Amino acid sequence: MSTVSENYVPGHAAAAPQAGAVKLTMVLSGAVFALMMAFGLLMRAAQGQWIDLDPALFYQLLTAHGAGMVGTAALSGAAIMWYFCGRHLVLSGGIFWAFLGLFLLGVVLILGAIFIGGYGGAWTFLFPLPALSGGAWEAGAAAAFMLGYTAIGVGFLLYYLELGRRIHARYGSLVRALGWNLILGREDNDPPPPAIVAAAAVTIFNSIGIILGAAVLVASLVHLLVPGFEVDALLAKNLIYFFGHVFINASIYMAVTAVYEILPEYTGKPWKSNRLFAIAWNAVLIFVMAVYWHHLLQDVVMPPWMLVVGQLVSYFSGIPLIAVTAFSTFLYVRGSRMTWDLASSLLVLSVAGWSVGSVPASIDGMISVNKVMHNTMWVPGHFHTYLLLGEVAMAFGFMAWLVRGKTISQMDGLDRAAFVTYLAGAVGFVTVFLFSGAASIPRRWAVHYEEWLSHDRIGTLFGGLVVLGTLVFVLRFAARLGRREG
Amino acid sequence: MAARFLPSVLAAVAGGGILWLATDGAQAFTSEAARRLDVVQSPRQVPKVLLEDMMSRPVPLLPQAGEVVLVEFIYTVCGDICQIAAADFAEIRDRLQAQGVKARLLSVSFDPERDTPEQMAIYGDAHEADGIMWTIARPEKTALPELLGLFDVIVIPDEWGGYQHNAAIHVITGDGRFSAVYDTDAVEDVLAHLSAVQP
Amino acid sequence: MRMICLALLAFAEAIALRQAAEASPVQHVLVQMPLLVLAGVLISWDIRGRRVWAVPLLLTALTAFLFWMLPRSVDWALTPAGETAKYLSLPLLLGVPLRLSWPWLAPVLRGFLKANALSMLGVLGFLYTHAPLRICNSYLVSAQQDLGFAFLHLAVVLACIWAVPVLFGHPRWLPSGSAGCSKCGA
Repeated sequence: MSTVSENYVPGHAAAAPQAGAVKLTMVLSGAVFALMMAFGLLMRAAQGQWIDLDPALFYQLLTAHGAGMVGTAALSGAAIMWYFCGRHLVLSGGIFWAFLGLFLLGVVLILGAIFIGGYGGAWTFLFPLPALSGGAWEAGAAAAFMLGYTAIGVGFLLYYLELGRRIHARYGSLVRALGWNLILGREDNDPPPPAIVAAAAVTIFNSIGIILGAAVLVASLVHLLVPGFEVDALLAKNLIYFFGHVFINASIYMAVTAVYEILPEYTGKPWKSNRLFAIAWNAVLIFVMAVYWHHLLQDVVMPPWMLVVGQLVSYFSGIPLIAVTAFSTFLYVRGSRMTWDLASSLLVLSVAGWSVGSVPASIDGMISVNKVMHNTMWVPGHFHTYLLLGEVAMAFGFMAWLVRGKTISQMDGLDRAAFVTYLAGAVGFVTVFLFSGAASIPRRWAVHYEEWLSHDRIGTLFGGLVVLGTLVFVLRFAARLGRREG
Repeated sequence: MAARFLPSVLAAVAGGGILWLATDGAQAFTSEAARRLDVVQSPRQVPKVLLEDMMSRPVPLLPQAGEVVLVEFIYTVCGDICQIAAADFAEIRDRLQAQGVKARLLSVSFDPERDTPEQMAIYGDAHEADGIMWTIARPEKTALPELLGLFDVIVIPDEWGGYQHNAAIHVITGDGRFSAVYDTDAVEDVLAHLSAVQP
Repeated sequence: MRMICLALLAFAEAIALRQAAEASPVQHVLVQMPLLVLAGVLISWDIRGRRVWAVPLLLTALTAFLFWMLPRSVDWALTPAGETAKYLSLPLLLGVPLRLSWPWLAPVLRGFLKANALSMLGVLGFLYTHAPLRICNSYLVSAQQDLGFAFLHLAVVLACIWAVPVLFGHPRWLPSGSAGCSKCGA
């Protein structure tokens, strides 16, 4: 039977180096989440014709919302994983500050590109849209947007290099950190804890994603600045979606370390790596990279086998997640007397939301369904499910845990109200998206037909609840940070 | 403290400066772009060269009486780009004629051995180059290297017995100076350039 | 002494490839030029660089590297002046500074340079295989495409070489302290 690694110290007593940097990152993440949600609310209200929004501004907001949310999800996930890996590894604080600095530089460039330069070509910067704006923005704005991405990518690369290096130094090889000894039944007196298994897997697939993403970013930049250089559009799309898919998935796989490390404090049972857990994470490592083809199901020029793999892996990729994390969470929670405070409630919700979100994702991953659903609200419906109810809930749960009192206590009235508001808002919001998708309402349209307005207006109301809940979470976090440190 | 970073700063500044100069201020990354930039910045005097046209008559390369000469380099059995470029050249000819611009178009063969006047006449016929405003011509074999050197045209044999070359439209203005290079399909740019230099 | 002989051998090999380099950009950019860099690395193999010079030397090497990555430099390297510059600068301004600075570089910086090299090879492969224009006037379009694919193959090979020890641990049959770090005291 595998034992908990020696320096696994659950709970309060754990060393938390760079807690200050992580707290700062979480304040920033929370503030940006709230701002980007406000952008989202504006877009829904504009679609519902409650407010008047210039379509050009709508697409700028769409771009900012997409890039901002993906970036912040990854930022908060990275901060969470850094914090918990710090319990098992010695990590260099300088690298984290460099990572955060590069990230903020990227944010400045991206916001400048969008709101000063007028860039509105969506967060996916699909070739050749950034270069063919039809006069909406100059090449310089698109270039600034991509340079912003590049800065963020460099920051993340440094982050993973440091993490990979320290894991390698501590465990000798990344495959040992991935739990291969557990899988192969070899003896290991220092098996990697869940957070390290997750960190090793994310380090591998996100580094590959960033290296390929950097290649397509720089090639697109060269095309923007020297238009004579063309880029193969299909190859560029493949690389962009590989990078994009891996990157946004990594944000959840990083944030889930909060569940592994925090929930044991509530259940009293340590969350250990075992054979099944290691197999699941190795499967995740492969699936995350092999599934991106499901974003290209409408590209008829793609080789059919790739699309078939995309569909098949879409089915399978839910399995390791649901079988291991969700099922274990369920067992842990059921068998113990959990104290339901804001942190534990949000973390358990996040696992549930993430699992539920994989259902509409798998449906959309079917070639026959995707043909009809791909450009409808179904798609934002599925990814908002596992982001709003998954990653973001993990981040808010982690934030609530960071500023918890000395003893775990029940939720007070405000916490309970905020949690219920957020939950109701998010569930309603994504349900409206999914219904709209089922009703074939297209996504990414700035102006909607009369028949769609009721969908948009109900969605806006639920979105308002989400923003309200988020504001309470973030302000509560900031206030408690000030109180504890001041 | 400052002394510790001085060598790094100097190396960074020097490196950046070298790369800035080597790309003409981040404008030209390929030798083709460098050639085009250089020609615009310092136009080159074209020598008095006589070419032989498709009716075996001598034609001057230099502009006569204030006209503008557009030159492109070809070989008549070219299978791809020259054929498309010739169609664009014909369009330029037609539009200049309609505007009444004083200009002469020359398709100069860099393969004078194979491209005899008869061969050039076949090419001219195929693209409606009638020899009045647009003619096909070849240089003396001995004058060819100097001519290609002046225009920075590099010709290399390809796998199928033909050639690859940096195809372009070269502008010689009325003062006898080679002063601009355009892509063979940049019809509008060439016309705009000509109406600017010859109102 | 052995290293100096090897360096001279690499240099001689590079010069022997003069004709081949003119005919094929793959031979030029991916065989001859790396051999010249290798000559520089080998000739300074046993020299111990000073720590304070690590960053300026790295910047020098990067400048030389970026300069020779420019397509117009590759064209220029086929003219007499450019050829001389190539034979001198690739060993002396790229190989030697790289060798002297590398042992002093922080592990994360080394990793970053390697990752960056992979990305840039990807970019070059991307552009060279699909550029509708000729990037080097001295080479055929088909040769340019070959070069693009060669860049991609090189990226895959380098990625494997660099990733395997990290993934599976340092293989026992390799001497520890790759690139002679132990020798230089880093």
